[in-house]
Amino acid sequence: MRLPKFNYLGPKTLDEALDLLDTYKDDAKILAGGTDLLVRMKKGLLKPKVLISLKALNELSYIKKQSGFIKIGARTPLADIIDSDLIQKEAKALFQACKKIGAISIQHFRGTIGGNILQDNRCHHYNQSDFHRSGRQACHKDGGKICYAREEADRCNSTCQSDGATALMALGADITLVSKSNERTIDLADFYTTDGIMPHACESNELLKEIIIPVFGAHSSYQRLAYRSAIDYPIVCAGVLLKPSLKNEIAEARIVVGAMGRSPLFLAQISSSLKGKKLNDTIAFKKAADASMDSSATFAVHNVGATLEYRCSMVSQMVFQALEQTAETIKA
Amino acid sequence: MSDYTIIGKRMPRVDSRAKVMGKAKFTADLKLPGMLVGKIKRSPYAHAKILNINTSKAMALPGVKAVVTGKDTEGIKWGVFAYTRDQEFIQTQKVRYIGDEVAGVAAVDEETAIKALDLIEVTYEELPAVFDPMAAMASQTELIHEDFPDNINIHVNIDTGHVDENFKKAHYIREDTFVASEESYFQAEPYAIAARFDHEDCLEVWMPNGGPHMKAKPLSNAFKIPLHKVKVRKIAIGGAFGGRSEICPVDYICALLAKKTKQPVKIEFTREENTIATRQGHSMITTHKTGVDKDGRVLARETTCYMDGGAYSSTGPIATSVPFLSMEQAYRMGSVRYNGYRIYTNKPIRGMIRTHGRGFACGLDTQLDMIAENLGIDPVEIRLKNSRQSGEYTSTKSYVDSCAMDETILKAVEKSGFKEKWGKLPPFHGIGIGTNSVQTGFPMGIRGGSQSFIKFNEDGEATVMSGVVDNGQGNDNMLVQIAAEELGLLPEDIHLVSADTETTSSDPGSYSQVSTFVGGQAVKNAAANCREKLFKVASKILKVAPETLAAANRMIFVKNDPEKSIPIRKVVRISLLNFTSVNAEGGYWPRVDMKREWVSNPYGQMCEAFSFGTTIVEVKVDPDTGQVEVMEVTAAQDVGYALNPLVLEGQFEGSIAMGGQGGMLTEYHEWKDGRCINTTMLDYKLPLACDMPPKINNIIVESIDPKGPYGAKEAGMSIAMSAAQGYSSAVSNAIGVYMDSFPLTPDKILAAIKEKKQ
Repeated sequence: MRLPKFNYLGPKTLDEALDLLDTYKDDAKILAGGTDLLVRMKKGLLKPKVLISLKALNELSYIKKQSGFIKIGARTPLADIIDSDLIQKEAKALFQACKKIGAISIQHFRGTIGGNILQDNRCHHYNQSDFHRSGRQACHKDGGKICYAREEADRCNSTCQSDGATALMALGADITLVSKSNERTIDLADFYTTDGIMPHACESNELLKEIIIPVFGAHSSYQRLAYRSAIDYPIVCAGVLLKPSLKNEIAEARIVVGAMGRSPLFLAQISSSLKGKKLNDTIAFKKAADASMDSSATFAVHNVGATLEYRCSMVSQMVFQALEQTAETIKA
Repeated sequence: MSDYTIIGKRMPRVDSRAKVMGKAKFTADLKLPGMLVGKIKRSPYAHAKILNINTSKAMALPGVKAVVTGKDTEGIKWGVFAYTRDQEFIQTQKVRYIGDEVAGVAAVDEETAIKALDLIEVTYEELPAVFDPMAAMASQTELIHEDFPDNINIHVNIDTGHVDENFKKAHYIREDTFVASEESYFQAEPYAIAARFDHEDCLEVWMPNGGPHMKAKPLSNAFKIPLHKVKVRKIAIGGAFGGRSEICPVDYICALLAKKTKQPVKIEFTREENTIATRQGHSMITTHKTGVDKDGRVLARETTCYMDGGAYSSTGPIATSVPFLSMEQAYRMGSVRYNGYRIYTNKPIRGMIRTHGRGFACGLDTQLDMIAENLGIDPVEIRLKNSRQSGEYTSTKSYVDSCAMDETILKAVEKSGFKEKWGKLPPFHGIGIGTNSVQTGFPMGIRGGSQSFIKFNEDGEATVMSGVVDNGQGNDNMLVQIAAEELGLLPEDIHLVSADTETTSSDPGSYSQVSTFVGGQAVKNAAANCREKLFKVASKILKVAPETLAAANRMIFVKNDPEKSIPIRKVVRISLLNFTSVNAEGGYWPRVDMKREWVSNPYGQMCEAFSFGTTIVEVKVDPDTGQVEVMEVTAAQDVGYALNPLVLEGQFEGSIAMGGQGGMLTEYHEWKDGRCINTTMLDYKLPLACDMPPKINNIIVESIDPKGPYGAKEAGMSIAMSAAQGYSSAVSNAIGVYMDSFPLTPDKILAAIKEKKQ
């Protein structure tokens, strides 16, 4: 398949990049590693006039600890995150998630953490060639009014399959978006619109600059299921964070389920139900895991492989495993 | 140990270096002066009448050199057999699957060609479509092909007689139905073809193929030009697995565009086109009814199989037969009745595939396990009771000469520790066994034999000409090894000219597992004839009888006095100075029953040799997720004789990847209204290197086939079949449920575990 024609712009600094983005806005797309963008362009899903490459912007590639926060530049290669002792120790869920993105060669050669968070939602009826999408009516995400994944759905049900986003949301991360005239930091959870067509609340002149992970004595885990051990999106995944109290009880919990809805699903109520529970309370873990399955099942449609029934039942497994693993880490 | 110098040795393949270094050139790499880009306009509908095709806008687009439609084909239809000619090269009346060819375009570049496709206006009238073979047979809507009632394309009926009376004698009878979905080949190289007509109006073509001569003849027929004017050229090929066997519409369309434009044209398939518009493996529903005596010997079997053939016949008669044939070769049966139906549906065309009939074979082996359990004997015992023995005839009257089936069973059992493990493993930990048998060739009439020419060059090196094609399995190396051995040269002294229809003689191709047996044997005979000529000359110089001579390491020497020798190069030069030819030819034609025919007469000698094998698989199943972890695979295969153990082990492991790890655990297609959902390498779950089992035991068993070259026979395809059976049997053993739907994806495994609990 062939890439459609586009103009390639290679700004040397962040300011230059933001200027260009402000000029081209919707006509431009940001090219970091390209592992998601170029594939969509080849399928004819996206025809940007301009690609603004972040290749020269080494200033966006860093991992540092600063006053109780881990800060990661958006263009940081996945391989750097995997190799980082800081991430392995203080943000294990992210480490585990990044190890599962693409394959080792993709992690080293191209893939970036920003790109992983910003990857578009997927659906096996939508992520197809022009030919595949011809001879039938266009779906919501393709500009039409039909959903092939769920009959009579009045909106797009594409699925967010980002490993990184699910892990980061469990870690309670914020992200910083910059534009020529503005810079704002928001909770990653607020970055999602719940609109499958435009899943990210990002202005057309904005660029993802930084990911900020709070470090506050919590532990985390990320678990996922796929068909293969590499080059495969998760069909279901879960990120979990637990902060122990001095009495070895759960002081704070965050459960996030991924690959089941239009965004990673932060299950606030179920998470808080774990507060005050002992770290070895497997019954409470099982209950929370089953509740997570019930809540996320309502969002999922059959559009990323496997059967819907299987994916739903595996939510409970993934959440339970992530909870158990996190508790084990704390106990150790 | 053998007396061979080169044969039987672990020699790295002559072609591997260029391939791993990226230097080998495939069809997509080919650039010819003035070459145009070709593209195919395909049907977006599963079943529709073509009312009108308007190409004027496309023709008017600057850069477009030609547009062809069904009007340009003179209504020629393609089919492998005279009675299966059901596919127009470009459809004129109606389209029968999403991807059917309706037009072709040649343009100066790809962008223009793609634009032109959009400008071709096709008016369709949609027809009701059927996607399920059982529904297709019962369908009251318009037939997919009007000459085929109930959409039944092929019916193969085999009956040895005495089936019903033998069932009456049976101690235990059971009937089970097994289903398997379709699968794809995912050759590393997507299909591509380049074509040009030269100044003498000869058609030159390059494409991945399973036999260049099989491509040349239909092209010569279609263009009504003599066979010598069709020159299929050699080019590196990235996999076939049965999916490159026959001519396909794009071959014709590309050549037609080249003819019309008088320029070379190349068409490269996208990965999606390679998946939907070449071939796929059949999905099938198979019912085995088996009756055994008290000891577990099969007295009678009745098998009925419904295969989803897709939109056209392709190799239908063969594909409808081979799963049965593999069964009747592997196992003895007192009597058997087979009804195989290949049904047309509005889905992509199904052809031959390495793992022929996973629903058929896995079902058969699963049922044997069930019967064994009922009789209180173990899976090994029931297989040994029914396994094929040398000197027997198959149910369809093929004599089986070399056969080491039992040895493969016993060796695999021993190596894997089956006896110690079976029934004694912890919960959700299982071990299973599967067997295979594959035919070394089919009756192919005029194209059943192969001939080779060898010419000596004056520097003492030799050029070998053979019609054998290498799809990636190592055939080129096989020919070089054989020629070097026979001529007494080193592999680097052999220059191979192969798979080119201009310079080589007819050959059956690689898709009937016959390259070594027939093509290799032809080279062996040619080389022996060549050697004989050299020995005659050398005997005069060395003053000994020719019979006392041998050749190795570039020398001809006296067998029991090796010091007495002369370099081959010198013998060649002396021959030429003495007006004596140093070139030779040789051929090999397998003695098969030429009257045997897939549908009308499925009895008689199928081929001269059969291979046999056993695969044992050990797995752990996660009872919470249904995910399978394969711990160890042991494959023992009777290959006759191992010409190159290194290449064979590669074939063994590739087979395990394709038939077992992928074919049984992850690979299947998803569909929506006849549209294939997972056509790409991202979405179709081929196993990766990191998914492969941590331990694979390859056991080469040699039965020295009396007719095979050095005793060799089929060895490349077979393990894919027994691997599928071994995997399914192991998973069934681990979860304590006999699985009847393949592949064994985690959702099915989990559902089976849950159902058992209740």
